[in-house]
Amino acid sequence: MTLTQFKQAVEYLGGAEDELDWMPQLSNWWFWGIVWTALCTLIYIFSGQNSKFIYIDF
Amino acid sequence: LSSNSLTLSTFLATLATLLACLAALNFAVVHLTRNSIPKQVLARAATSKADSVIAIGNSLIAAGFDEDAFDRGFEIARPAGSVNLGLGASAPTEHLLILRSALRNNARRNTIVYGFYDLQLTEPEIFHTSDLFGNHAMLYYTEPAFGARFFHQSFHDRVEFALMRHIPMIVERGAIWAKVERFRRKLAELGMGKELNNRFGRVGDFSLLEAPVASRFASDCASANTRSLNSAVNEMIGESSEHGIKMVFVEMPMHPYHVRTFYGLPEWKEYTAALRMNLASKNAEFIDASRWIASEQDFADHLHLSPRGAREFSERLGNQLREP
Repeated sequence: MTLTQFKQAVEYLGGAEDELDWMPQLSNWWFWGIVWTALCTLIYIFSGQNSKFIYIDF
Repeated sequence: LSSNSLTLSTFLATLATLLACLAALNFAVVHLTRNSIPKQVLARAATSKADSVIAIGNSLIAAGFDEDAFDRGFEIARPAGSVNLGLGASAPTEHLLILRSALRNNARRNTIVYGFYDLQLTEPEIFHTSDLFGNHAMLYYTEPAFGARFFHQSFHDRVEFALMRHIPMIVERGAIWAKVERFRRKLAELGMGKELNNRFGRVGDFSLLEAPVASRFASDCASANTRSLNSAVNEMIGESSEHGIKMVFVEMPMHPYHVRTFYGLPEWKEYTAALRMNLASKNAEFIDASRWIASEQDFADHLHLSPRGAREFSERLGNQLREP
């Protein structure tokens, strides 16, 4: 991914642009597999923030 | 449009990629948590064959039992010394599992020191799925069927427990969350004063583990007086007796604030008198060390001893246990 493509993606996600030229096709299964993994990983990592940590030496 | 439509085969291929990546993530979590604190304690329990005295309990023992100082007081020399198997943020069921691990290796033990505070010996253990993270994670992988007999769960939580214990990412979620939490705390300190921390967490947080007011503690003591010993504690006494090992329950040294506020109450005295009799009837010894350390400087927070306090307490405990 080039810096320009990244900028376009951020603008698209933020709503500044209506279209994304280089949007991967839905048939690009490996790309979407990795996107879903990244989302699941982010949810996994940050889903503990409601836990009350008194002890933290795990 | 047709090139951008989702077919069943591409959907399944995407799903397979996701599952493969999650499997890889599980392997990464297994690798990252191979030396988690409970695993280190269990490994020590299993390999400490020479140690004749084992100290078990929660973080009060982990921080407060100094092996060398105890050995000096007890007048035993290495390799037949003592071993600290205390585990922070743990409950009697975990202590029982650690004890079983220590007894399983056929080592010659002669004394078990079990450190406790407040109502720990008589409180029933009730775990929700949301409680089973951090060091409690060992319940998922250390004799899970046996351990589950000693704590209560709802039917829903029992089903979740049975399913979740097969997925390392979920079992060890606390280890990953703790790293994120440490990062969040660092960010929160940017431009602010630094929080006072010790080895277990933020110093100020540990006062949350005390009763909010004396009247609440008094009513907790009164209701605890109607309960018998926690079933995991009973099992520990039974197993130590089977192995012919003396079990000593030590009421751990507490911060002068805690002693002043809670341990002078008549309800507490009544509770400990009943506890002492109960333990004596099971041939277990009871030592009240709650007032042994009088200086606030010898405490790292409201519950835990500092290294200097731990040395003083452990040597005195060793001395006392040596005397017939």
